[in-house]
Amino acid sequence: METFVIGIASLLGLYMAWNIGANDVANSMADAVGSKAVTVGQAVILAGICEFAGAVLVGAPVTDTVRKGIVNPDTFLALTGLSPAQAAALFVIGMTSALLSAAIWLNISSIMGLPVSTTHSIVGAVAGFGIVAAGWSAVEWPKMAMIVASWFVSPVAGGIMAYILFKFINRFILGRDRPARAAIKYTPYLVSAVTATVVLATIYKGLKHVIGNIQWLTPEVSIMLTVVASILTGLISRVILKRRLRGKERLPVGEQLELVERVFVPIVIITSCSVAFAHGANDVANAIGPLAAVVRVIETGTVVHKVGVPFWVLVLGGFGIVMGLATFGYRVMKTVGTDITEITPSRGVAADLAATATVLICTRMKLPISTTHTLVGAILGIGLARGLGGINKSVTNRIFGAWFVTVPAAAILCVFLFLLGKMYYFDYLTEVCTK
Amino acid sequence: MSIISDLFGKSPFGPLVEHTKKVHECVEMIRPLMEALSHENYIEIRELHNRVSKLEYEADKIKHEVRSQLPRRLFLPVDRIDLENFLRCQDKIADYTEDFSVILTIRNTKIHPGLIDKFFKLVDQVFQVTGTLLTAAVELQNLAEVSFSGAEAKRVLKWLDGLGEEEWKADRIARDLSRDIYKLEHEVDTLTIIFYEKMIRKLGQIANEAENAGDMLRGMLVR
Repeated sequence: METFVIGIASLLGLYMAWNIGANDVANSMADAVGSKAVTVGQAVILAGICEFAGAVLVGAPVTDTVRKGIVNPDTFLALTGLSPAQAAALFVIGMTSALLSAAIWLNISSIMGLPVSTTHSIVGAVAGFGIVAAGWSAVEWPKMAMIVASWFVSPVAGGIMAYILFKFINRFILGRDRPARAAIKYTPYLVSAVTATVVLATIYKGLKHVIGNIQWLTPEVSIMLTVVASILTGLISRVILKRRLRGKERLPVGEQLELVERVFVPIVIITSCSVAFAHGANDVANAIGPLAAVVRVIETGTVVHKVGVPFWVLVLGGFGIVMGLATFGYRVMKTVGTDITEITPSRGVAADLAATATVLICTRMKLPISTTHTLVGAILGIGLARGLGGINKSVTNRIFGAWFVTVPAAAILCVFLFLLGKMYYFDYLTEVCTK
Repeated sequence: MSIISDLFGKSPFGPLVEHTKKVHECVEMIRPLMEALSHENYIEIRELHNRVSKLEYEADKIKHEVRSQLPRRLFLPVDRIDLENFLRCQDKIADYTEDFSVILTIRNTKIHPGLIDKFFKLVDQVFQVTGTLLTAAVELQNLAEVSFSGAEAKRVLKWLDGLGEEEWKADRIARDLSRDIYKLEHEVDTLTIIFYEKMIRKLGQIANEAENAGDMLRGMLVR
């Protein structure tokens, strides 16, 4: 019986992960595909690898938050007249309703053409059922406040970082008298920055849940490794740049700029991959956070638990995202590729690097944020830095509109499903949870 | 469907460069028109006028495309007003060129042999002005790439500095030519003089608008 419930929950988690892959991943690779750095097919493969890696290697902190950081499981036990098994049953119904409602909301908004955040959906849904099931105190309001605050802070932070990065690229490389020569000198710093961001986020404080006991990977060692890796990639890139750009500084400016942009092509591929990695890390939780909660509750028969996220759940989430990407995401990426976009590799690098850093920092801080909105913020930041020929006003309006609608919509849907589930499945699940 | 690609959409600078090139194609017709006039080849003039009309129409279409996109853009890297005025000045260049070709078709005017050289001198100088503008304006794509700042912007500003002087030279030649025409007031009939004046006026206007366009472009570059 237990496995049956876990199986259903896993399927729902997979469904949600599939939605995440179908909806979001195209945005991760949008900068690389839009600037014609990769073909759609290549983007799909790269995204699949990086999303999976991000989910499995760095996905645990945020998954933990969604699992038990938004709605406090203890409050369910505190409800009068409920045995531990009954409390557990309520919790399970709630979490599965959250998964289903968030996924349905994603599907509906895709059809309506609304750009909706997977993160906002699931957090709204979970909070929704928490309030209805166990009252206002069920929700960890301090944590919730931090999460909502981070939804505003992350696009702004992404924007500021992208602004600074692009100003740097423009001032020191593109705007120079001889861009080709400036590129040789300054691009390695960018490459080092990308390396540092990704490596540090991945290995800082160890990869306990992946490789088990690696005692030697202390924070100090992590930082050292990061520095070494960054310097290495910086040096390698300088060698490659010298070979490609040497002697080109006498060419007319237009041609030099073209060459520099071409040099940025491999870099934007790497940065887009890192966005996909960061997205996998932060967004996999949206699918498997509730699933992990259900699994633990069913296994122990009670809502109280301190153990972390099971590894197979992370893998399942990553797999779901890749599946979603492979089936539906391919089509979405195609529209990115065929439309005329004004993005060039240099802009893409600035936006991607800013987004990656912001998302990974928030992931390590255990905060679930919207990767897409962070990327949007980064792009707006570049627009502010005069890096684009303007930004489509109607699209930003749609994004902000969806911003305010999503949390209430997902919450209401979840409450509805939760009440339905409570009516039909409460007794069954109480039995399952009785140990 | 991807939000990110929808966000970018179309920048106006690509079409703007297209518009500049199309306008210059119009202006390139002036010398052939003048030559046909000096050879009294009125059929050729008619033919050239048709081509200019068509080119001006194509330029208008591009202009509409730019205008239709502009209101929907946030965070334009240049002042919207400067961009709009630049577009309008270029549009006028094309319009005036077409007007010039119309002037040559509505009456079979003959150019007095004493004036031919000066007329061609004026045409060449006007072409010099518009040519300088073209050199600067096609850099708009590169300027967008470097966010309208840096070394490239300085380079374009220097080209634009020369524009004022070239336009002044054109004015001087026009004045000179006018004086020569009035010296002939007893040799040439009044109606022909009127037409000479129309032609000079139109050419002067083209040079003026080119200088104005350059001013607008400068406005886009100076922060």
